[in-house]
Amino acid sequence: MKKVLTISLMALGLFAAQAFASDAVKIAITGPFSGGSAPMGISMRNGAMLAVSEINARGGIDVDGHRMKIQVIERDDEGKNARGALVAQELASMSNLSGVIGTVNTGVVLAGDRYLQQKGITKIITPAAGSASMTQWSKAGVKNLSIFRFSADDSIQAAMVVKEAIDRKLTKVAIFHDTTNYGVSGREDLLQQIKKQGNKLKVVTTEKFNIGDKDMTAQLLRAKLAGAQAILIWGIGPEMAAVANGMAAMGMKLPLIGGWTISMSNFINNAGKNGNGALTPQSFIEEPITPMAKRFINEYHKTYHVSRIPSPMSAAEGYDAVYVFAAAVKQAKSTDTHKIKEALEDLRAPVKGVIATWRHPYSKWNPANERTHEAFHRDQVVMGMVKNGRIVFAHESDKQRLIKEAHGENSK
Amino acid sequence: MYALIVTQMVVSGVLMGLIYALIAYGFQLTYATSKSINFGQGELVMVSAFFSLTLLNVGVPYWLMVPGGMLFGALLGLVVERAGVRLALEQKSEGWILMTIILGLFAFSVAENIWGRDDRPFPTPISSNPIQIFGIHITPVEISVAIGVFALMGMIELFKRKTLLGKAFEAVSADRDAAELMGISATRTIMLSYGLSGVVAALAGILIAPITTVGPTMASALILKAFSVAVVAGLDSGFGVVVIGMTLGALESLTSFYLGSGWREAPGLILLILALAIRPMGVFGKASIRKV
Repeated sequence: MKKVLTISLMALGLFAAQAFASDAVKIAITGPFSGGSAPMGISMRNGAMLAVSEINARGGIDVDGHRMKIQVIERDDEGKNARGALVAQELASMSNLSGVIGTVNTGVVLAGDRYLQQKGITKIITPAAGSASMTQWSKAGVKNLSIFRFSADDSIQAAMVVKEAIDRKLTKVAIFHDTTNYGVSGREDLLQQIKKQGNKLKVVTTEKFNIGDKDMTAQLLRAKLAGAQAILIWGIGPEMAAVANGMAAMGMKLPLIGGWTISMSNFINNAGKNGNGALTPQSFIEEPITPMAKRFINEYHKTYHVSRIPSPMSAAEGYDAVYVFAAAVKQAKSTDTHKIKEALEDLRAPVKGVIATWRHPYSKWNPANERTHEAFHRDQVVMGMVKNGRIVFAHESDKQRLIKEAHGENSK
Repeated sequence: MYALIVTQMVVSGVLMGLIYALIAYGFQLTYATSKSINFGQGELVMVSAFFSLTLLNVGVPYWLMVPGGMLFGALLGLVVERAGVRLALEQKSEGWILMTIILGLFAFSVAENIWGRDDRPFPTPISSNPIQIFGIHITPVEISVAIGVFALMGMIELFKRKTLLGKAFEAVSADRDAAELMGISATRTIMLSYGLSGVVAALAGILIAPITTVGPTMASALILKAFSVAVVAGLDSGFGVVVIGMTLGALESLTSFYLGSGWREAPGLILLILALAIRPMGVFGKASIRKV
């Protein structure tokens, strides 16, 4: 009899625990946790989970007087558009989901986000950078948008890449890009920026490559023949590494300036010393230059047993995105995804993140200006450089600026 | 400048073509004795490369890893023969086609689960800094590919011609029934050919890995080209695969240089169609006359 009682009490306890768990803020984290984009997806997830466990350790988010913990649903989209669409459909059908954070591949964003938008589920895209992720909504003239972005997007990056080439007094460049949505939209951004910045660069050749290509000899020799002085590149790690290795094998030494994906560990590892000197815009550099950055880097290394974050920028963006989302939940005083969306559009309290202190990152969606749902500005992005297996600051001035800004924040 | 760049393209292409030739040679070896082909040969290349990488990672020195990896390839070849081919051949069925494809898919999943889906660099003591020969840049790693391919193919060809076991191999290739009447075990000879074919695949993996990195899909593009090479050259000419392999490599390079890299795969397929239409026994193949 006693035994029965214990068992039923235990069962009761279990049910109670479950009832408690359903009283949580449910968010989904999606991204490629396997495949070529996995370094970004895993870093983003790990960064986000660090923020989640910090928030939960403090008792959770204060939602109208209740302390509610964050409960995370993880979904691997494998970086594949079709898989991403399925994941988004599944999430869109969940009744009590407060929001979605994640997605690395622009193609996956384009395939999946409309299902979330249809249901009005709040999503913060991070770290997918392709411009089309947001411009698809401004082009369609959507009036009310539940999709936000939290990443140093391609229009910022392309502007920096083009400026870097101009600052280096280059005049003739080759554009290399992969044939994915990300690569093609990156090419368009580069061309647009070259025009915007006064046509000081001449594009002597535009070369493309496919995911999985290992031999870039033909593209490189065409660039050489056209007299390119630098390669502006938009792709992901493994193929960009093949470009760097191909150049080394033919004794070509053109500067490689490209999207933030140059910081992917599979570029850095596969290119090895051939990757040294490659330049890439970054929102976060794995150098403990501020107390906040130091704590974040240490926590990440300790929790995930690594000595190098596979994609530091994804990790930092995932981390900050969770804090921004949590602030919106608090302000909305609700776990209702529609109310959270409204709070995000008018976030009043500043959110202290590892990349920056976010003050009013978004405003009410305006289809004529997609920047209303973009959190990042040029100031939050710096130029990074590959050096012996790590990304370091390419310009000392950027580093000093960040240290000064962090100092200003602390003394306030 | 222009001529130099075109020559550079041809040289890079020819080196890639040698890898096609080596894998195609693996097809030939098993076809000669058993009239069967391992359609999972690409996975054999990939799994052997991963295994060799693991050997390097646990501290086995490079020059010991090479025979180690090749031995592993031989074992895998024997497994394929025993599990996928022998029964089908005994029953005179074409079941080996499906069986070898299935074994390949199985090996692919196993590799993904053990080593993951990411491409990884393959360290090698051979330098990958280019040296200049008449203005053409070539890396010692690329030269090692050429040396490796010719050395292994040369050794196997010598073995077939000069040793008793090799002669048995040739006898079974020429006429299996007659060879069996002479007391040669066809089953053993077929085992031998699958073992050798595994060695060839493993070496191809080890040679190409430093250039292309190692990953589960590393051989999927290679294997189609190798198959084209084997068919175009004819399934019984070692010399033929080398010539056709190098030609195909050079053609691919030139096509992607002149027409753009999107057309890279075209010459292989066109060659394959032409060969099947005009010379189905292969450019270097002998038309077999079967007396009934």
